[in-house]
Order: sequence, then C-alpha cells, then structure tokens
Amino acid sequence: MAGLFDYTPAVVLLPFLSFLIAVGVAISGRDLLPKGGAVPGIAATAGSFLLSVALAVAVAGGEVYNETVYAWAGGAVPGTEGLELTFGVLIDPLSALMLVIVTLVALLVHVFSLGYMNDEGETGLPRYYAGLGLFTASMLGFVVADNLLMAFVFFELVGLCSYLLIGFHFREPGPPSAAKKAFLVTRFGDYFFLVGVVAVLATFGTGQFAGPESFPVFAEEALHGEHAVNTFLGLGEETWFTVVGLLVLGGVIGKSAQFPLQTWLPDAMEGPTPVSALIHAATMVAAGVYLVARMYGFYAVSPTALGVIALVGGFTALFAGTMGIVKRELKQVLAYSTISQYGYMMLALGAGGYVAATFHLLTHAFFKALLFLGAGSVIIAMHHNENMWDMGGLKGRMPVTYYSFLAGSLALAGIFPFAGFWSKDEILYETLVHGLGGQPLLLVGYVFGLLAVPVTAFYTFRMVFLTFHGDARTEQASSPEPVGWNVKGPLAVLGVLAAGAGVVNLAPVRVLTGAHVDFLHGWLDAGFAELTVHHYEEIDPYSSAYIGGEATTVLVGAAVSLGLALLGLALAYKLYAVPTPTEHTAKLGSVRDLLYDNYYQDEYQVFLARRVVLPLARAADTFDRSVVDGAVDATSSVSLFSGSRIRRIQTGVVSNYAALLTLGLTVLLVLFGVLGGWLL
Amino acid sequence: MILEALIGVTFLAALIVMLSPDEYAGRLAFALSLLPVVGSLYMWAGFDAGGNALMAGSIAYRTQIDWLVAGGYRLQWFVGVDGISLPLVVLSTVLTTLAILSAWTPIDTRQSQFYGLMLFMEANLLGVFTALDFFLWFVFWEAVLVPMYFLIGVWGGPRRKYAAIKFFVYTNIASLVMFIGFMSLVFNLPVDSFGLPAITGSLQAGELSRFVGLDPAALKLAAFAAMFVGFAVKVPVVPFHTWLPDAHVEAPTPVSVMLAGVLLKMGTYALLRYNFTMLPDVATRPLVATVIAAVAVVSVIYGAMLALAQRDLKRIVAYSSVSSMGYVILGLIAYTGLGIGGATFQMVAHGLISGLMFMAVGVIYNVTHTRMVGDMSGMADRMPITVGILVAGAFGYMGLPLMAGFAAEYFIFQGAFASTVIPSAPLFTAASMFGIVIVAGYLLLAMQRTLFGEFRLETDYEVRRAHFHDVAPLAVLLLCTIALGVAPDIFFTMMADAIEPVVAVVGGGA
Amino acid sequence: MVPAQYYLVLSAAIFCIGVFGLLTRRNALLFLMSVELMLNAANVNLVAFSLYWGNVTGQTFSLFTMALAAAEVAVGIGIILVLYRNFKDVDVTEATTMRW
Repeated sequence: MAGLFDYTPAVVLLPFLSFLIAVGVAISGRDLLPKGGAVPGIAATAGSFLLSVALAVAVAGGEVYNETVYAWAGGAVPGTEGLELTFGVLIDPLSALMLVIVTLVALLVHVFSLGYMNDEGETGLPRYYAGLGLFTASMLGFVVADNLLMAFVFFELVGLCSYLLIGFHFREPGPPSAAKKAFLVTRFGDYFFLVGVVAVLATFGTGQFAGPESFPVFAEEALHGEHAVNTFLGLGEETWFTVVGLLVLGGVIGKSAQFPLQTWLPDAMEGPTPVSALIHAATMVAAGVYLVARMYGFYAVSPTALGVIALVGGFTALFAGTMGIVKRELKQVLAYSTISQYGYMMLALGAGGYVAATFHLLTHAFFKALLFLGAGSVIIAMHHNENMWDMGGLKGRMPVTYYSFLAGSLALAGIFPFAGFWSKDEILYETLVHGLGGQPLLLVGYVFGLLAVPVTAFYTFRMVFLTFHGDARTEQASSPEPVGWNVKGPLAVLGVLAAGAGVVNLAPVRVLTGAHVDFLHGWLDAGFAELTVHHYEEIDPYSSAYIGGEATTVLVGAAVSLGLALLGLALAYKLYAVPTPTEHTAKLGSVRDLLYDNYYQDEYQVFLARRVVLPLARAADTFDRSVVDGAVDATSSVSLFSGSRIRRIQTGVVSNYAALLTLGLTVLLVLFGVLGGWLL
Repeated sequence: MILEALIGVTFLAALIVMLSPDEYAGRLAFALSLLPVVGSLYMWAGFDAGGNALMAGSIAYRTQIDWLVAGGYRLQWFVGVDGISLPLVVLSTVLTTLAILSAWTPIDTRQSQFYGLMLFMEANLLGVFTALDFFLWFVFWEAVLVPMYFLIGVWGGPRRKYAAIKFFVYTNIASLVMFIGFMSLVFNLPVDSFGLPAITGSLQAGELSRFVGLDPAALKLAAFAAMFVGFAVKVPVVPFHTWLPDAHVEAPTPVSVMLAGVLLKMGTYALLRYNFTMLPDVATRPLVATVIAAVAVVSVIYGAMLALAQRDLKRIVAYSSVSSMGYVILGLIAYTGLGIGGATFQMVAHGLISGLMFMAVGVIYNVTHTRMVGDMSGMADRMPITVGILVAGAFGYMGLPLMAGFAAEYFIFQGAFASTVIPSAPLFTAASMFGIVIVAGYLLLAMQRTLFGEFRLETDYEVRRAHFHDVAPLAVLLLCTIALGVAPDIFFTMMADAIEPVVAVVGGGA
Repeated sequence: MVPAQYYLVLSAAIFCIGVFGLLTRRNALLFLMSVELMLNAANVNLVAFSLYWGNVTGQTFSLFTMALAAAEVAVGIGIILVLYRNFKDVDVTEATTMRW
C-alpha cells in the first residue's frame, strides 16, 4: 500500500483543482458549467473522501507516512542547516481520522449547497464554489501538514477562505463587515501563532511534528538534558517552552473562537449557512483544536500551558453557553454552542484527555454539521427568516429535517446514547480524575464544564421546541417551502452519524465490563511512537485519582452529567414545549440584556478599535504632518526666507555691482598683501 | 557585453519614443520596453555568478574598462550582476513594461515625452543595479531623479510642483550626505580606483587611515551614519519618509508604480551594498544595531498606524510602503542568511505587490476619478475582476502565505528572531511582527468601505469595466507574486548565495 | 631706459581713472569708455614687462587684448542700442528690471 500514500497530496489538490476550475468560470463571466460550478467541487470532494477512506484503511493496517513533498525555500541558506522550510505529508491515525471527517463534511456541504444556493437562485455561484473548493483544500492541507510552518501556511489560507465566504453577499452591508472582523480577530491570534512558529523553528531548528527529529521530541529530550536547544531572552528551557506554547496557543484561541477572541464567530453567521456548517464542523474552528492535538507532545511537557488551555476551554464552554440561552436567531444559538463545544475540547486537551478531545472533535463535526444543515433547511423553508420566534410547528411539515435535527440536538445536549453523550462524558471524566489527582486548576475547569452541561441542554432544546413544536407563529411557518433531496440526503447521513458515532469509543463501557470497545483509543494509540496516546500519558504531568474505584467514578460522573443535561432539557420542555411559548428569558431583566449583548464584548473590542486605535492613528498622522513633515517644510522655509533676504543685494543697478566688484578686489588685494607679508 | 546592450538599448528606446508622435508613443514604448525584458530574462537564463560581487565572488556579465583618471583615481565603466542585483534587474524591466501598459489609459497629454522619460528612467535604474564602480553608480543614481522629477512635476496631480520639488531636493540632499560619507572613506584608503570590490576589500583588510583627527573606527562610524541617513531618505525610513506620500499622491499611477516598485529598492539595495557589506563591523556594534533595529520597528508600526489614519487609497498604500521597508531594514540588521536574504527577497516581493496595489487603485481611479475611501462603495459590483485582483493583492500585502510577501516577511522574521547582532532580537522581531495585524486592519477596512456594500459613487461618473490592457498588468503581477510565494527559491537561492559572504564576515548563525 | 616702475604707476593711474569712471558715471557710453581705459591699463603693463624682459609674448598678448576690446565694444554698443530702445535712455541705473 506504500503506493497509495504517494497519492496523498491528491487529497489536497483535488479540491484545489475544483477551485481553479470555478475561478476560471467566474472570470469568464459566462455560464460555462451546469449548476454554477458545483459539479467539479462535488466530484473533487468525493474523490478526496474516497482517497481519505482508503488512507484510513491503510492506517488501520498499521501503516503511517511522513514524507517531505516539496522543498519550499531556504535549502541553500548559509547557517541554516537543518532548518527545513518544507511542505510534507504526515498521515497517522489522527490526521487520517481528520481527513475522513473533513472530506465527508465538505462533500455533504457541497451537495447541500445545491439545494441552499442553486435552487434558491443565488448569483455568483462560481465564486461561491471556488471559495468552498479553496476552503476544503486549505483545511486538508492543514490536516496533512507535517510541520508547523506548513500548518501555519494553510491555517492562514483557511482564514482567507473564511473571509471570502463569510463576505459572499458583498452587496449587503453586514457580510463584508463580518468577514473583516473574522479575518482581523483571527489575524490577531495568528500574530501570536506566527511568533510561535518562528520561535519553534529558531529554538529547535525544525518544525516537524513526527519522527525522532521532531520538535516535541526535542523538547522532551531537552528537559531531560539530552538535547541542546536555543532558548532566548535568558529564559530556562521549561519557561521558554511554555512561552512558545502559549504563543502558538494564540492562533488556536483565535481560530477556535475561544475566550477572548470568540467575538468573530457569531458575526460570521452572515455567511451562507452551508459555509457556517463547514466553518464550524470541520474546517476553520476545528483547525485550532486540531493544531493542539497535532503538537500535543509539545504541550504535554509544559504543565502551565496545559493548565491555561484547560482553564480557557472550561471557561469558554460555560461563558459561551450562557449567551446562547437568550438568542432569537437559530444560527446564533448554534454559533454560541460551537464556541462552547470547542471550549470542551480545549478543556479535554488541557486536562490530558487527548482521546476525549479527538473524540469530541469527531462527534461534534457530525452533529454540528447536521444542526447547521438542518438550520439551513429550516431557513430555506422560512424564506431566509432566521428568527425562531417566527417559526413553530415545523415538526409535522418537515419530518426529515425535524428528526435529523432532533438527533443532532440530543447529541449536542449530551443525552444518552447519542454521540455527544459519550464524548462529553469522557471529557468530564478525564478532567475529573486528573483534577482529583492533585490538580485543583482542573477541578475548576471541571466545574465550568459541568455547569455548562445543563445550559447546553437548555438552549439546545429551547431552540428545538421553538422551531419545531407548538403552533406555527407566522404564515411562512404554516406553509414552509419544501426542500429537495440534496438537502434531505446530507441530513439523513449526518443524522445517522450523530446518533451512532459514539460507538467508536465507549470508554465507560470498557471500564465497567472490560470489553475493548474504546476503538478510538486503540486507533490513536497506533502509528508513530511519539504520537501515541500512551506516550502522551507518560509525559503529561497528570496522575489519576478516583472517587471510590474507577468504575464508581465513571458511573457517578456519567450520572451527574446526564442528570444535569436532563434537568436542562426538562426546563426547556416546561417553558417552551407549549403551543404558544413566551419569552421567559425576558424575566431575567438586565441579565438577559447582558447575555444578549454578549457581555458587551463586541462593544469593548469595537471600543478598542474605534476609540483607542483609530484616534491613536489619527494622532500619529497629525504628528507626522505637523512635526515630522513640519520639520522638513521648515527647512525649506528657512532657506526660502534667507534667500528672499539675501537676494536684496541684487539691486539691478550696474553701478552697485561694479562697486561690489571693486570692493571685493580691494579686500582680496589687502588680504593677500597681509598674508603674503607685502603689507604691514 | 549584454549588460551594455541592455542599458544601451533602453536609452535608445527612450530616445526613439521621445521623438515619436504622441498617437502611438504608448504602443511603441510598450513594444520597445519588451526588449529589456527579454534581455534581462536572457541574462537570468545564462546567469552563472557565485558569491557576492563586492566580496571576491564571480560576477556575471562583467565588463571593466578604464574610462578616465581623475585626481589619481581611475574611473571605470565597471558593470556586472550577482545574485542580489539580478532579481532587481529583472524586477525593473518587468515592472517598467507593465507600468507603461498601465499608463495607456490615464496619460493623455505629451505621451511621447512621458513614455520616453519612463524608458530613460528604466535605463538609469538598470545602471544603478549593475554598476560596480562608485563614480558610474553615482551618475546613474542621480540621473534617476531627473526623469522622476519631470514625471511627477508635469503629469502629476494638483500639488505636483510641491511634490516634485520636495522629492528632488530631499533625495538630492540625502545623496550629498551619502556622497560625503562615502568619499571620506575612499580618500583614506590606499586604493587607486572607485571600483566597489576594491574598496570593499581594502576596507575589510583594515587599511583605513586616520583622517582629521578621527581614528579609523570613528571615521567608519561617521561614514556609516552619513551613508545610512543618505540611503534612509530613499528607502524611506521614519523619520525621513514624508516626501513619499506627497510624491505618491501627486504622481500618476504608472509613476507611483515605478516609485514604490523600484525606486525605493535603490535605497535598500544601496544600504545592503554599502553600509552592510562594506562596514559590517560598525553595523554589528550593539548600540548601532539596537538603534537600527529600533528604527526598523518604528518604521513598521508607525508607518502602519499612519496608513490606518488615511482616507486616500494611494496614501494608504504609500504609508504601507514605509511599513514594508521597515521589515527590510530589520532583515538587513539581523545579519543572518535568512534575515538579509529575506530583506533582499522583500525588495522584489514588495516591488511586485506594491506595484499591483498602485495599479489596481489607478484602474479604479481611471473610472471613478476619486481615490477617497468615503467617496465610493460597492465597486466589486461594477468591476468584479479588477476588484478580485485588488483583493488578492491586498491579501498578498497582508502577508498571505503562498504569496511573495509572506515568504519575504517570514524569512525576515525567522532570520531576525535568532539574530546574534541585535540585542534582545526576539523582542524587536515580535514587536515588528505586530505590523501584520495593523496592515490587515487598514487594508480590510479600506476594502470593506470602498469595494463592498451597495454600489455608490460620489463623483457620478459612469463606471464600466476596465480595459483589457488595464487589467492584464494586474493579472501578470498577481501571477508573479503567487509564483514567487509558492516557489521563493526562484530568486532566493541566488540571493542566499550572494549574501553568504556578507553574513560570514560577521559569523552570524541561522 | 625708463624703469619699469614708471610704467606701472602710469598703468595704475589709468586703471584707477577707469574704475573711478565706472563707479561714478551713469551713462552707458561712459561706462564702456571706462572699461576701455582699464583694458588699456593692462595693455600698458603687458608692453612694459615685455620690454623689461626682452620677450615679445607680452606684446602679442596686448594685441590680443586690443582685438578683444574691439569685439567687446561691438557687443557693448549693441547692448547700449537695445538699452536705449527699451528704456529711451542710456542711463544704466534705469535698467533694473532683472533684479530679484
């Protein structure tokens, strides 16, 4: 099968090819391809998906692949021996799994777009499909990246694509603004990431993720004094690694929309709904968490960095969840749930739950893609009205959408036995046992995560009940527009996955029965020795402790989280599963306003931009024009003024000139006479 | 002889175009400007130099003929290229051709003189990048200013006289300061010619003698300072930058393209050739390095902040050039292969991208007759392809990976971070890197307000699609930018080869 | 033989008269005459030294100077004519339009 791996770049290049075709069509300005250029995109993502599955099968057979494909630059630079600026492909269990997720979601999004974009008569479709193609290609390039520099390169391209797609409807005022915000806020995070990339390459001389020459391995060896690295600013190795890790984390926080850089994500809902699905489930937002998982060996040696990750994640999970409670628009609720769920993943990564985070990444990709596509289906039906208070009673009129959406919601809320339950439970479990093992910080994260559970369940089912249950509150809701197969098909596929994807890692069952049903754990424990789960467990700073025994802890943890989830669900049921629900959140008063306005975070960030940075820029401009340029102009003014005075000698009267000449001659004669000693 | 042919043909082309009728001067100039492009590409294909031209490397297409003797010094016709100058030669020829193409629409008076001056300027630029004798180099260096003065002063905007005079006087005084600095070195060296390799060799052999009470070290420092200031005006570096926005705003589009694309590189090229190659022992003094690195960081951040405050699209791009040139200074002072290599690469990359930006703004100006951010919105609706390329170019300016700007900036950052010359190099590097956030801020803001949203135009001109000959140069530049970003080794290998001896003198690492 | 000093005194005297005329007169024709005096003062010097050293180079030079003076008068008269045409006068202090 070695031959198969040589085709790995094709996974990336196929969607890129579809991008080129779509760009060509867009430039021609004519309707060259049927379906506005969707067909090449669908064919390309389908091809990538099949290839990814083949790769995953090969990886399941125990094969892995880590090769440099393209020497980007700098091979000949003096004094940089070993500093490889290359692009390569790393296929191991983690990236193979991610490839399958990304290509599958991208394929379904492409198909769904036929219903959401083409059938709705959107214009500029080639541009749309070009964006989707490039988005998919960039994300796949990021997933297979074998070093940090390449990861950064594609990370940025993902940002570009998000800009292009969020701002797709550029004639309206909202989307361009949202696109700008998305790029700018993530750029702010990427600034730290880029400093981190530069620091990693300067420190270790390599940015490779895997192999004995990789930077996580070097970091580990350096801490044991087995490998010399360059540290900077006089910091010790461990401190420096923590600094570098936190710098890279900046990019993660930006892209994965973690506190405090999460503000771009709700605005990004201005993009077309399939794009939201792609961004949230499998590409841009997932990229951040995937990056931490990819270089987990590096974070594992730095307890401080792990602690920060866990705390940021846990806090974001709860913080974003509370904002989701009061939103009126369907997609807004989903946006905050995404932030919250990625917070869980970060919590897991910070708490040493590498498998749990990957697991949640997998299940979340399916159920969040499902929820967004379901929301898209509802939005089609509602003629692009997203306000949930204008819906209601859609349950009977769009059953496929309803049942798949319900499956996704149950998974999101973490209700047994849907996929989300298993992954979320494992995250909380890992956090709990490692927290009990002497890490009070993790216990704080655990409390955050636990509190977020009922919140999640509540806003999820508030959304479900408002949208699908009760009476139709508007005309559109009572006669929704029917949706086609290209909408229902992807929903059905994802509905099944959201319901059943949990079986890949039934960790609690293994603990209780001893049966080896935690397949994902086994999957991630194969491949490169330094990228396996047990290696990470060896080097991370955590130890486990239990309440009673292991089995008891599992049961107690699961029961508590499930109970809390059911509590939230029940509350939502009581308040909103009635024929004509009212805005109960209005009773919260000013708290509701606070939540609805996202704790005024947009305001303070806009304040920073408008009232601090812009005036500063204007002040700099004034300073530049008056002082710096003023000095230049002053020089010329002085010259001009002195010239205007001295030129008075030039009277125009010839006699004066003659007098001056004579005077000059006399002075010269006298001077020479004195100096030459002929006079005096 | 090919270099002589290249420069000679360009001068001849300038003369022919100057004498041709206005009706087809533009087309004739374009056709004739293709000759130097072909010539420079041919030189590239047969390029076989190794090492640095000033430091005993082999020089490609070398000609060295004694010209005349003045004051005991031989003045030579001494030209040749190495890995640093060849990319700039190619950049100059390609950019001139594209700039001439972009002038077809906006230039509607005295065409033959305009295109003649453009070609005359190109010939002198080629001279600047290939001359290896100081006297010859200085003649070309000064001669570039003359056509530029007329190009701004005759075809410019409302305040063209102010801008042209400011440009000419400012840069000319700077040249004088630089000249004094350099001559104070030469006259105290035991050399009999103005050949740059001979001067470099003599300086590095420590043959400098005392001069009016200054010991060699102090003399070097004084000369370094004078030359740095002289070139800094040309680059331009804060606080010597204020001629640039005025010149850019008043200059017509093709002239802005040349000004930002090639003329600014004369300054950085000269800094590399003179200050950093000839006097590394001064540049690597901790205090000097700190000052220069600080100047670089200030240029980056301050330039970007100024760009943020502007409403005129051309002013935005002009100030962002100050910012980009700050990166070049940072890369140079890093004294690492990647740092100086990245700085050299940035010269080419910025030439392409800023040329692209100015041209795209010019295309929009041609149809709207305004460049003010508040005067228009939704241009993407009417000019989709132009706007598409402008957006791509803007992302290139922001340092989007796989475009030339990212490669250059990344090399510079990587090189500067590990620099042993700059004290606290990581802090300086990280500070200057914040420029990538501000640049994204002002470009995205300007794009959002002008290109997107509902179509609206204050000036009430009828907006139609741009001509093919307006968009074609944009597309060519974009493709070049992407090609260099995907495969920077196209130029980077030869640059690194030429820079290696410069770095080796200091003993810098990665 | 008459000593050279006498010639020099004569030459200096003529030169000073010329300078005096140049500084005090306003008529352009008198200007021209004064200049001729100064030139001839130089001629006297040249011839005197030529005699003193027994070398004809000085005399040759004085011939050159005479030719030059003739040419100068031709140009000078032309200028004066133009002056008169423009200012209806030959007073040099009137023609001050080319100052600053």
